[in-house]
Amino acid sequence: MTMLEMLRQYISGYVALTGEDFAVLADKLIVREFERRQLLVRVGEVEQYLSFVVKGLARMYFYKGKTEMITNIAKEGELIAASASFLSGKPSYYYVETLEPCTLLSISRANLEQAYEESPRIEKLGRLVTTYFVLQKEEWELECMRLDTRERFLRFIGNNPELLTRVPQKYLASYLNMKPETFSRLKNHIKKRPFAGRP
Amino acid sequence: MSHNAAIYQAALEKLHQYLQVYAPFTKNDFRQMEPFLEIREFDKKVKVIHEGEVERYLNVVGLGLARKYLPVRNKEITIQLASEGHMIHSELSFHYRVPSRAVVETIEPTVFFSISYDSLEQLYEQIPGIERLGRLMITDLFIKSDTRYFNQLRKSTRERFLEYVRNHPDMVQRVPQKYLASFLNIKPETFSRLKHLTKGKGVNVKG
Repeated sequence: MTMLEMLRQYISGYVALTGEDFAVLADKLIVREFERRQLLVRVGEVEQYLSFVVKGLARMYFYKGKTEMITNIAKEGELIAASASFLSGKPSYYYVETLEPCTLLSISRANLEQAYEESPRIEKLGRLVTTYFVLQKEEWELECMRLDTRERFLRFIGNNPELLTRVPQKYLASYLNMKPETFSRLKNHIKKRPFAGRP
Repeated sequence: MSHNAAIYQAALEKLHQYLQVYAPFTKNDFRQMEPFLEIREFDKKVKVIHEGEVERYLNVVGLGLARKYLPVRNKEITIQLASEGHMIHSELSFHYRVPSRAVVETIEPTVFFSISYDSLEQLYEQIPGIERLGRLMITDLFIKSDTRYFNQLRKSTRERFLEYVRNHPDMVQRVPQKYLASFLNIKPETFSRLKHLTKGKGVNVKG
């Protein structure tokens, strides 16, 4: 599948774009390539791009004292950006960094605004993607409050089994807001009883 | 025009003003929206949506004050406070059509401008210009929720308190202390102590 086909498939989950609509969007995209461990956005900078991950893995995080707190990990077929900064045009609270070499399809804020002007369906896409951001955030907060450590671990691994091998364990632990030791213990538990986590 | 009709008209005027903040749109656009809206009135301390119900409405507060909370292990965690002009609903339930895990409850007697899920879909179909308004309202909601989320994780109790008091002096007057404390994730005792600090010193919150 080409990059644009991947993006088109992703978009079709939200809205049916005509070939013409999609061309409006495709014209405004740029391809960006990064090595692993490159910062895409620093705290205090304004996020310039909304990016679709074609290949690779990236994370969003901030420092609480000296501890890195990871709030998002994005893989192929997902969006990555300091999204609140991108949407508000205000400085980012977060760092965004690649964890693996990444290929991104990115759109700048000005180009996205232009696409909204040119196509009401793309504006609809914008509304639905932003709605999804809100829902995703709400769901994440809800889970952090409602589920215990073990439940959060099982749910995450159930939804993202491949990240267990791709993402350094300490990052996953940080993302799930648990101690690395706890993460390690839960992981070993799963290895011994592979079906323990299935509902 | 009857008394009620006059109040209704005044309320709609107000809603038009609130929505203008997000995206300029004409009186004519707004007239087209009217048939899709419902005005709902509630007394104070009324649960507008209970845990386990599917959220039918997206609401904008016309008058009054409401909060959204999560019942978690016999505690209520307040996650949103909404005054005039703000949107409040159980989002996950509304959009995914699943039972709500959150409760929306009025704090003061409240008037909502409400739109049902089906009406909202129809509205987007029939008036394409509304897409922009919808997008900008949801964007605003996301930015606010992200800021709150970040503040909870990153800022100290004192910073969270002072920043909120500085930015929302009116809410400090209107919202019962225990809800504000829960919203800011501050223990009620700590909240009282911090509130005390700001009294009589000309509110030293510039830091």
